[in-house]
This record gives sequence, structure tokens and C-alpha cells, in this order.
Amino acid sequence: MTTHDYDRSTHGSGWAVKLLGWICILLGLVIGGLGLWLIILGGSWYYGLAGIGLVATGVLLNQGSMAAVWVYLLTWLGTLGWAWWEVGAEWWAQLPRLLAPTLILIAVLLCIPALSRRRR
Amino acid sequence: MPLRSASLALLLATVAPAPLLHAQVAEIVTSPETELPDEAPAPEAPADEASPDVAAEETSVTSTQEAAARDVGADWPYWGGDAEATRYSPLDQITRDNVGELEEVFTYRTGDLPSPEAEGRYSPETTPLKVDDQLLLCSAMNILIAIDAATGEENWRYDPGVPDAAIPYGATCRGVTLYVDPEAEEGAPCATRVIQATLDAKLVAVDVETGAPCEGFGENGTVDLWQDIGERVPGWYAVTAPPVVVNGVLVTGAQVKDGQAEDAPSGVVRGFDAVTGELAWAWDLGAPEQNRDGPPEGEVYTRGTPNMWTTATADEDLGLVYLPMGNSSVDYYGSNRSEAENEYATALVALDGATGEVAWHFQTVRHDVWDYDLGSQVTLIDYEGTPALVLPSKQGDIYILDRATGEPLTPVGELTDLPQGEIEPDYISDTQPISEWHTLRKEDLTERDMWGFTPIDQLWCRIMFRRANYQGVYTPPSSERPWIQYPGYNGGSDWGSVAVDPERGLIIANYNDIPNYNRLIPREEADERGLTPIDEAPPEGSPEGAGDPQAGSPYAIEVNAGWRNSATGMPCTDPPFGGIRAIDLATGDTVWDRPLGTARRNGPFGIPSFLPLDIGTPNNGGSVVTASGLVFIGAATDNLFRAIDIETGETVWSTVLPAGGQANPITYEVDGRQYVMIAATGHHFMETPTGDYLIAWALPE
Repeated sequence: MTTHDYDRSTHGSGWAVKLLGWICILLGLVIGGLGLWLIILGGSWYYGLAGIGLVATGVLLNQGSMAAVWVYLLTWLGTLGWAWWEVGAEWWAQLPRLLAPTLILIAVLLCIPALSRRRR
Repeated sequence: MPLRSASLALLLATVAPAPLLHAQVAEIVTSPETELPDEAPAPEAPADEASPDVAAEETSVTSTQEAAARDVGADWPYWGGDAEATRYSPLDQITRDNVGELEEVFTYRTGDLPSPEAEGRYSPETTPLKVDDQLLLCSAMNILIAIDAATGEENWRYDPGVPDAAIPYGATCRGVTLYVDPEAEEGAPCATRVIQATLDAKLVAVDVETGAPCEGFGENGTVDLWQDIGERVPGWYAVTAPPVVVNGVLVTGAQVKDGQAEDAPSGVVRGFDAVTGELAWAWDLGAPEQNRDGPPEGEVYTRGTPNMWTTATADEDLGLVYLPMGNSSVDYYGSNRSEAENEYATALVALDGATGEVAWHFQTVRHDVWDYDLGSQVTLIDYEGTPALVLPSKQGDIYILDRATGEPLTPVGELTDLPQGEIEPDYISDTQPISEWHTLRKEDLTERDMWGFTPIDQLWCRIMFRRANYQGVYTPPSSERPWIQYPGYNGGSDWGSVAVDPERGLIIANYNDIPNYNRLIPREEADERGLTPIDEAPPEGSPEGAGDPQAGSPYAIEVNAGWRNSATGMPCTDPPFGGIRAIDLATGDTVWDRPLGTARRNGPFGIPSFLPLDIGTPNNGGSVVTASGLVFIGAATDNLFRAIDIETGETVWSTVLPAGGQANPITYEVDGRQYVMIAATGHHFMETPTGDYLIAWALPE
């Protein structure tokens, strides 16, 4: 399959995948950059790692690769495990940890049809 | 300190424009005459006045008779309900089974709303007294008002004309004091009088039936508390708490606005003859003997000493008055304080009400550099057969002390090896007392307690956490890096104080659970920022400590009260931000504990979430407990007034107020019908909408 095919088959949703990709890269850079600072200050490594996961997801989305979904799923599952380990069932404390990452997960999952067409 | 209050509210945002909620605004009646029952109690006890040589026994007889005439129940004769300040009412008509039927009986509006200049500086915190058929109260700017307790119709008002310039941190008048002159003939003018202390530092006494000033009290009903204080700087020296009467002596301290200068008005506490307004004694901790009858000509009371801004409790049986003292001026630097200041700052001091001499004192913080003023009124109880008192602190510790000696009756422990910091290591105490019986304080903060709405703001708070100096409670101030103070200066327990149910043996304590994020600002930087004390430039209405000059010390102070994320306004630490709990008086164990306040008015960027979830908001204002087992409380920033089942902690009724309910509620009875009432007047620091409402509810007739 050629790039030409991809563009033609996904012109309806390809831009959305790319937009999400760039959002992930941007968020990943902010979280990763501040997360690196936090690591240097002796704090949690989660944000640095989550930042890498987001940037990778964003790059792969831009490439139209289904691997983006798997990378983000891994990032999200890691987030889930970390969040549970940190605060357990304190739901107010889970708000900043899980709400936004889960919204991104939903957005990434919505990319699956477009990414599948790309794979065909 | 400050009167303060509170805490930061998680954000604000007004729900429901107030006027719409009020159908029944009482008409304002301007004419002073009204039919009042003439059953004003006129005890025939011998006068015991202020004269220092009254025998203790006589005193005790008098007080018993007076107290008998003014029991809590149908009346709410003291700010704290009864003379013991338990906030417990024997009324039991409203129960957990019928509380859901409560209906609004009337809303009275004081008409006292901020002028444009005073906008954003109102925190009335009003609690009325109920005596005979009247409710007696003061408005934010000290207008004395009497209204009919059953209908909300105004009987009289007296406006002493307090100027806006007198507003210290906030326009506050928590309440008034009733005094019956034992020598006056029944029905004589001012035989029963209502007394308040004002923002412009005056004592004002008026007749309970007409509101007319008491001519025999001071100068035409007014005593000037600025006398012998020094240069009059409006707003620096103000009274926000009701005075108390101990055996005929009217005792008052004053709020000295925090953070201004070392050379601040004195924290002197004074006793006045409740009939004549003459100075009975002064307790100037810097010169107690010399200034007992006032300072020598040309001198003033010792400046910069710890003050008492909150409400004292009188103990007429022992002839003592218990003063919860604040900190010295200035709050966050102490190396230049005197020995006497170090002795009495942030201590509970028992004075002999007849002489003003110290009977005993109990200090809760050694060398306080955290603004941990004692803010709560103490409650008198019987503890295992000993006359005792309950002393709550802003750090959350609850002590029970022997009233006669000040000796703790419950275990007091000691924190040791505390950090002393780099600013004034020789001054900072490496030990501090704590209550091992009960504390409202939670575990020290960790990075995982940081909060936000998204991972990004949470991450930013984590970075702030790691950058700050924090070694747990009593982390000393620092300047190169910010330091975290937890609990913050709003408590723990603040002016709302605790309630005690003597029948069930429970303390009901609401509390804040929020840190402050502070930094000492070197003088040079403070000068560049133009931080100047109140006597050089009029203050702006910023939160306590948010850039206070502390002139005369090497550092100014920057307080981020409630430690909020500057970008979102969200707190940097996770909920709950406040709670309420029941404590078993016999054991000190927690019976139940729950967050207080829903998320309905709060959300990121000040957007109300409308979520009815109990997130636990900052709160200010105490509770009322009834014999039927209900706890009534507003206090939280969700603008709800609610009833909680004292057995379970469960909310069994709530209603939306038209403004913030940062005030202590009351309950009373007229013609066999029980009412509950709270002032919905809002609070600038709690970021709740301002109002001028007093609202009464009762069961349908």
C-alpha cells in the first residue's frame, strides 16, 4: 500500500489522528520535561516515563501506526497501576491521575478504525 | 491575629443570586417602640461589680442566681449558647425523624452590605443571642439590632457609625453580650443591656428594650478602647469578638492586624465595670504591675505583645476568665521578642476576673513563628468530676485542662528534635507540646498528597512540594526556599470552636485540613515590592499574610493560604480540605469523622461543579448540638446549612443558603416552637458570596 492510498482512504479521519498525535506530543513534552525536573528534585519517576509514552504515542499516531494504540494502552495501564499503588481507592485523589489519561485513551481507541484502514 | 478565617476556599463562584431565594424579607421597622415582655430577669443578688475585694463566696452565689435566670434552651443567652460555651441546647422538638420537614419561617436582612470601598472585605461571622422574645445581634459594621424571635420583625437598631477605614482584615462582629445590672431597678433604662465591641475599638452598651445608649456607661454609652494604646491607625486595632462578663467585669481583648510591624498596638486585655464602663484592670503582659490600672501619664500599653482576638470564656464559679491568646507582633519572626511575650504567646491564660492577675497559663506553641494563634473559645466541662475546660488549637490538638490550676487532665506529649532552620536557629524551639489524647491533625504531607485537575497541574504541585522546605509539622520558616506549614493558620480548629454534648459525652469538632505555602521575604526584596505597614499606607483587602511587611523584623512574609495552584486556583493538596468529627469525651477516641462540605460550588477556574459529593471543603464557623441528637452547621464553602445525626455523622437535612454560612448557628424556642437559625452573610477569605441574611427554620405549625 502506498502513501497515496492512505491519504485517499482516510481523508475523513486522518487529520483527527494527526491532531491527536500532535496533542500527545505536546502533552508528552510538557509532562516529560516537568517530570524530568521532578526526578532531579528527587520526586516520582512516573511523569517522566508517562511523558515518554505520550511522545511515542504521538509520533506513532502521526505515522499512522497501530503501534500507537498499543504504546498508549501500555502507558495507560502503567498509569492505572501507579495511581492505584499511590492512592488506592481515594477517588478524589484519582481525579488528576486517571481522568485526563482515560479521556486520551478513549480518543486513541477511537483512532483504531482509521489506523486499521491504514494497515490494509 | 486575625480574625480570620479561613481558608481558602476552593474556589468560588456564586450559585444562585441571593435575592431570588428570599420570599419573606422582614420589613424593617424603624421605630424603637415595641411591646416587649417585662420579664427581664432582675436578680436581686448583691452587687459584686468590679471591686477587687469581693469575697469569692459571695461571687459564687451571685453568679449562680444570674446563671439560673439565663439558661440555654428557650434562650440562647451567650455567644457560645450557655455560660460554659458548649453550644449544646436541651431543645428536642426537631429530631432526625422530622428534620426533613423544616420550613423557613422568616428571613431578616440587616441591610448592612459593603460599600464600594469595603467590597471584598466582609466576613460578618454573626451569631445572635436570643433573650426573651428578641434576637440580639451586631451587623458586620457593628449596627446593633433587636428583632422579634418569632417573626423576624425589627424592634430597634442602633448604629454607632463605624467608618469603613476601621475594617481591619475583614468587617466582622461575631456577637454581642448581655448584662443584667444586679443593682438596677427592674424596668430602669439599661437594667438589662446589650454590649458589643466594635471595629473602631469601642465598647458600646445599649438598653435591651429600646436600643438607646446607656448613659451611665462610659461616655453616653461608649468606652473608647484606643485609650492608652497609642497612635490611632484605623484598622490596626479592632474588636471582632463579643466581650465576656465575669462577675460584673466586662473583659475584652482586640484584634491587632497581623503582619504589619513589630511596633504594633498592644495586646493588652482589659476589664471594665459592666455598669459604668470604668476600667477595672488591665492585663498588660509586658508590664503587668505597672499598668494594672492603666499606663502612667504619657505612656502606652506595651506594644507588639500577644493579643486576644477571639472569644474568652468566663467562669463565674472560680472567678476566672480564660483567654485564648494569639501570637506576638510580628508572627513569623521571633528573635526580638521579650521573655514575657515568649511566655504568653499562643497560650491559654486564666486571669482573675476581679483583679486581672494571672492565675495560670498553658502554652500550646513554644516560640510561635507560624501564626498559630489560639482561635477557638474554650468550653467548660466536668471531666471525671473535675471542673475542666476543652482547649482546641489550630494545630488540631485538643487539650483538657483543670480549670483551677491549668494542669492537663489528659496526656500531653512532646515532639522532640524538631528542625530549627537557618533563619533563627537559636530561637526556634526543638520541642513542642502535643495532645496525646486527641488531635485533629492528619499525617504529614507527602508528594503523593499533591492534587490538581489534570496530571499537569498535579505535577506542578509536586515540583512545588519538592522545592519547598518541609520537615513535617513545625517546619521552621525559611527564605531561600518556600516552606510548607501544615496545618495552616486556619486550623485545625478556629473561631467557630467546638461543641460539647454533655449528655452523650461527645465533642463535635469541625476543622480545616489544609497547608499554607509560605516564604520569608528579605527586607530588601520587601522594600522593592513596596510592602509597607498599615500606619504608612492603607491596606488592601488581600488574604492574611499575602505580602505582609513585618516592619521592624528582617523579613516580610508571603503566605499562599491554603496552598493553591496559581494557574488554576485549585488546592495543591488533595481533599478533604475540611471535616467534622465526634470525639468520645471518656476516651478521646474518634466516634465518627467525615468530610464537611460538598463540591457543588467548587471546581477548577472557579467554575461550580454542582456535584453533590462530600469532598470536604475549608470551613469556618462552629456547630450547635441539640438534645435530640442533631448537629446543625453551615461553615463549609458549599453554602449549605445542614443537620447531621450525632450518632452516625450522616447528613439528615440540608438547605441552600443565599450566601456563605460562615457563622455559628443557634437554636431557640418561642411559644413552644423550636427554631434553628444561621446568618448567611458570606466570607471574603472563604470566597463565599456576601449577604445580610438571618434565616430561621422551624417545623410546620
